[in-house]
Amino acid sequence: MTPPNAATLPAVDHGHTTVTAPGHAPRGGLSHFLSTYVFSKDHKVIGLQFLFSTLLWFLIGGLLALAVRWQVAWPWSDVPVVGKLFAQEGGQMAPEFYTMLFTMHATVMIFLVIIPILAGAFGNFLIPLMIGADDMAFPTLNMLSYWFMWPAFFAFGASFFVEGGAASSGWTSYPPLSTNVASSPGSGWGQTLWLLGLTMVGVSSMLGSVNYMTTIILMRAPGLTMFRLPMTIWAMFITAVLQAFALPVLTAAGFMQLADRMFGTGFFSPEGNIVNNAIAGAGGGQPLLWQHLFWFYSHPAVYIMILPAMGMVSDILTVFARKPLFGYRPMVYSIAGIAGLGFIVWGHHMFMSGMNPALGITFMVSTMMIALPSAVKTFNWLGTLWGGKIQFTTSMLFALSFVSMFIIGGLSGIFMAATPVDIFIHDTYFIVAHFHYVLFAGTAMGVWAAIYFWFPKMFGRTMNEFWGKVHFFLTFIFLNGTFFTMHILGAVGFPRRLADAYHYETFHHLQPLNAFMTWCAIGMVASQIIFAANFIYSMFWGPVAGRNPWNANTLEWTAPSPPGHGNFDYQPVVYRGPYEYSVPGVEKDHLMQTDPPNAVASAAASAAH
Amino acid sequence: MGKRLAGIVWALLFLAVPVLGVATFAIAPAFNIWLPKDVSEHGASIDSLFYFILWLTGIVFVATEGLLFWFIWKYDASKRQGAATYIHGSHTLEVVWTIIPAATLLFLAIYQMNAWADVKMRRPAMQPTVEVVGRQFEWRLRYPGRDGTLGTADDLFLVNDLHLPIDEDVLIQLKSMDVLHSFFLPNVRIKQDAVPGMKIPVWFKAREAGEFDIVCAELCGWGHYKMKGRVTFESRAEFDTWLERKYAEQQATQPPVEAADVAQAD
Amino acid sequence: MTASASIIVPASIIDMIMPFASTLVRCRSVAPLAICITALLATGCGKTQPASFRLNTVYATKTTAPEGDSEKPWSSWSQERQKQVATILEAMFGTPDQPVALAESGLDAAKLQLAAGPVRSDIVGRKNGLYREHCGHCHGISGDGMGPTAAFLNPYPRDYRPGKFKFKSTWRDAKPTHADLVHVLHQGIAGTSMPSFALLPPSQIDALAEYVRYLSIRGETEAALFTYAEQELSGDDQLPTSREFLIDEVLVPVVQKWQAAEDSQIPIAALPAGVDFSRPGDDLANRESVARGRALFHGDGGCVKCHGVTALGDGQANDYDDWNKAIVEASKEVAGGLETSRETSTSDMSPDKLAEHRTRAEWLHAFAEVLEGDALRPRMIPPRNLRQGIYRGGRRPLDLYRRLYTGINGAPMPGIGPSGPGGKGSVADAEIWHIVNYIRSLPYEFDGELGADRPMVARDRF
Repeated sequence: MTPPNAATLPAVDHGHTTVTAPGHAPRGGLSHFLSTYVFSKDHKVIGLQFLFSTLLWFLIGGLLALAVRWQVAWPWSDVPVVGKLFAQEGGQMAPEFYTMLFTMHATVMIFLVIIPILAGAFGNFLIPLMIGADDMAFPTLNMLSYWFMWPAFFAFGASFFVEGGAASSGWTSYPPLSTNVASSPGSGWGQTLWLLGLTMVGVSSMLGSVNYMTTIILMRAPGLTMFRLPMTIWAMFITAVLQAFALPVLTAAGFMQLADRMFGTGFFSPEGNIVNNAIAGAGGGQPLLWQHLFWFYSHPAVYIMILPAMGMVSDILTVFARKPLFGYRPMVYSIAGIAGLGFIVWGHHMFMSGMNPALGITFMVSTMMIALPSAVKTFNWLGTLWGGKIQFTTSMLFALSFVSMFIIGGLSGIFMAATPVDIFIHDTYFIVAHFHYVLFAGTAMGVWAAIYFWFPKMFGRTMNEFWGKVHFFLTFIFLNGTFFTMHILGAVGFPRRLADAYHYETFHHLQPLNAFMTWCAIGMVASQIIFAANFIYSMFWGPVAGRNPWNANTLEWTAPSPPGHGNFDYQPVVYRGPYEYSVPGVEKDHLMQTDPPNAVASAAASAAH
Repeated sequence: MGKRLAGIVWALLFLAVPVLGVATFAIAPAFNIWLPKDVSEHGASIDSLFYFILWLTGIVFVATEGLLFWFIWKYDASKRQGAATYIHGSHTLEVVWTIIPAATLLFLAIYQMNAWADVKMRRPAMQPTVEVVGRQFEWRLRYPGRDGTLGTADDLFLVNDLHLPIDEDVLIQLKSMDVLHSFFLPNVRIKQDAVPGMKIPVWFKAREAGEFDIVCAELCGWGHYKMKGRVTFESRAEFDTWLERKYAEQQATQPPVEAADVAQAD
Repeated sequence: MTASASIIVPASIIDMIMPFASTLVRCRSVAPLAICITALLATGCGKTQPASFRLNTVYATKTTAPEGDSEKPWSSWSQERQKQVATILEAMFGTPDQPVALAESGLDAAKLQLAAGPVRSDIVGRKNGLYREHCGHCHGISGDGMGPTAAFLNPYPRDYRPGKFKFKSTWRDAKPTHADLVHVLHQGIAGTSMPSFALLPPSQIDALAEYVRYLSIRGETEAALFTYAEQELSGDDQLPTSREFLIDEVLVPVVQKWQAAEDSQIPIAALPAGVDFSRPGDDLANRESVARGRALFHGDGGCVKCHGVTALGDGQANDYDDWNKAIVEASKEVAGGLETSRETSTSDMSPDKLAEHRTRAEWLHAFAEVLEGDALRPRMIPPRNLRQGIYRGGRRPLDLYRRLYTGINGAPMPGIGPSGPGGKGSVADAEIWHIVNYIRSLPYEFDGELGADRPMVARDRF
């Protein structure tokens, strides 16, 4: 791993920021500590701050899920150990506590884990490194994007302790359940804090999104054209575009709901609406309006939650298949296609909502069509593997499982898109299976692949491969045990969000299956102990990694591991696309984006002689 | 050697996905973990569409997962000689695997429209048979009574216990008193959200007599799971008799003889 | 965090982490702990204690006001008294998992078994734990109407312990019959959070009704013990535990009232001429009767006082029902006592007086704490809007007749029939049917005398 001699490179003046200064700067002191480690404007530190925060919330979200699963498998039985902390009576979880559990499980996982871990952690860490920039375009904005998460952490966290508990009207927060304060215990302070937290997450995302777009457009290294960008960066770019255009709608809707709750406006409550003998505001509104506004953001948000993972997996697959990405441009176009179509399919969440059924047909057609770019991507991933030399690193295994699981999540989506079938499976466990296959078995597996892959760049050390594979194996087995069975549960019509469905004759016999799923879920969460231990151990005591432990091509691997402030010790110049693996006639099996063409040519020539 | 073994293990693990996946769907019906019995007229078209998509996606699932397995098996670096194939893509393949799924999806989209229209758009021209009102946490029912019109003094009010005639169209007027609910009849393949401020028509024709669950399928608060109802399908004659009996009970001016409330509790 | 600092300083990520390293290393010892917790979760160990009944702390504190002649300090004897009552109650009634039905209680042990205990199904599929499955999270495991969900409901769930029930077929002060309780379980209570349990098998409804009776008898016994102690004992005395006392003096009087319920049903007058409930109120057949009912509604019946001349329930609306009133009054008493206690000058008190004053203040503070922590914030009970067509006690003419006849026990709604057998009401029995007829016509009265500006019938608005 020899970085090209800096003297031979064209001098590019990027100002003082590219200079890795010698260590004579003043060290120590509180203000130094705060500015370097806490209120840092360095994109890598911010990225890691996002990573640590989101991983902690991942744990909380996972434990919430376990409590949900416990109730579904063994309704009303004592939750061991922590049961006494719950709102309960005679050892039984209170039903409103259950509604709170799944609401906050989804809220935490979506708004505090998936979105910030993809865009916040990996977006921040990778974008400047992969485009050869020294930092983000707006470092202060970037710092704020992290610190705006903290009010959200506090709002969501505190809501567990207010009277009535945290929000409990589902993460979709449909009115009037969410707007009428009396309609459910969690619709009191819990819901208000939920809306405030959501707004703060939105602000954070928006700050990040503006930054990513600007950085990717303006700060690419010399020679790095848009069509030489790695898929990770393309995905981050399009995700940023999606966020910038979709978020304002959600923010506005959130404020409308807040106004309905606090100032007695009636955007979402019909006239004379009485819940629990309490009248909500002026009325004259329409509950469906919220659904339109909410899903106008939240459907694109589904892609915000998967596209970056798709991008990262594409890169990881090429590295460990030692092959160029199959169909680079179709991959880019299909991401763009998903983003475009993503804005006109929101109504498929509302087929049963009372929306005009004729409108449902148009949404059905657009939804069917959005399956197409996903299919194209899947075929291209398979094409990438074809003829490769696959190395089974932990990271690759997670990336492969992303493809495998995404196929399931993608195909099950077609059932819901078919409106007549959706009549039956809407709001059953079928949809729960679908989005867990996309978001957990898809995105979370992609995130793990990315963590194992970029860990050396983050900390200069590699994670333990053996325990990584054990972690992969257990997670893979248990996740399928938990989520695949949800499909057949959905086929019976087993509804989601029910604290106890077994008093229905139709679902009476499904308890053993649910118990099996809960055991798997417990196993899945327990397997993460291996991951946590491996992560923390490797951070300090793992084997030291060089600059490019995986022999990958993209720019971040030319920087030191971990990169210092300013990232690169020389200005990278890009000569080719990111996927030049196993190029015929070249001695080593990869050509980095920065390898100068003349060096390659001479090497090839000498090889030929 | 160890690497080769590991490669086999991983390949088999990925092979397990389609194998166990298909197996799960194959054995689920044997355990009655499958589509519940359908007693409606339109349900067959929904179910056949479900099966059609199941077969379609099943084939694609097995094919793609099988291919994934095969590539993992075949292109394991530890057994493969020589360099990986240097290829950036294939225009022809891209066109093929764009056009074929596009055509399939478009066909699927058009193919299902009729079934959708039957359930949600082609409303029979008739007065509502019954009004169903969702309320935290029960289904309040109102039959129009003898005059066939809702909103008059002879309406019959009931809770949770819905009776409907078979072999004829029934039209339900669905409302909500407070928050969103969803009127879900698993055995009739009917689901429709009830929205406060809206009157939403729901119609179907039941083919078979029997008692079935009414489920609430939209989160409506802490007691969501409690919102259980029961629909009883019976012949027109039995239905009329039942209506008369319930109406007489509602008009009671004297306690029923020997407190028969319990015994008669349907 | 100046700009220059963040630009010049070369800080590797590892450097950034090192200050936290020592903390994180210690975190490694958390991993085994996490494994233990997960293992516990997995094996279902760490079972919580068996369920137990809560004491009626509000009543217990209320009846243990300090007295002058007590030897022991107040806090100790009042604690002992509460413990003693709890022990007696457990001996007489068992626990939520193991209810006891003494022969004298007249309760059916088999039915109680079905309803009691944690939620589970035994081998033959018979359900146990019905009460905790369906009722407990609102009405509370002790039947005190204070389950975890209760605080958010309007109106609050019924507190069974005073043994008062609203919707029944018996005289106002009498207990409900078994059939009355079953009827409420069957129909639910429209306009409240009490749902209908009509779909449960009759045997289960039966068991639940019996369990409600059990909780009531238990609650009344508890109150009787505290009342006895307040009236007959000084602070240091123990309650007698003889069978004669507990059974004959305490339990039997409570049970007798329940057993008398079947024979305390009010008489139902025959329908007078001109009342035909099978026809609408504006039908010729009913027109005179409805007019008569309207006259009574505005006149002798006295209904307009609360329900308002429009019958929209907009008359006097600032009253409480008995359950909430008890809390309101106790709170007032405590607040007043504390106020007085604060204002009293203690400087020239004799030591005896001072001690008494302090004890009383201690009791007041304790009571205030109990009211804050063990009682729900009082809610007012508004009179019914009679034009909505929502009748909590049921919509049958018979139900409305009973409501009018006896009023609603525990609520401000008075009866217009006689208050007991042989009495005389403000309206003659048969005349009540006319008011029933009028009330039934209200939701459908579109062109009444109230004019065009009368709000549209709320029931039909959405």
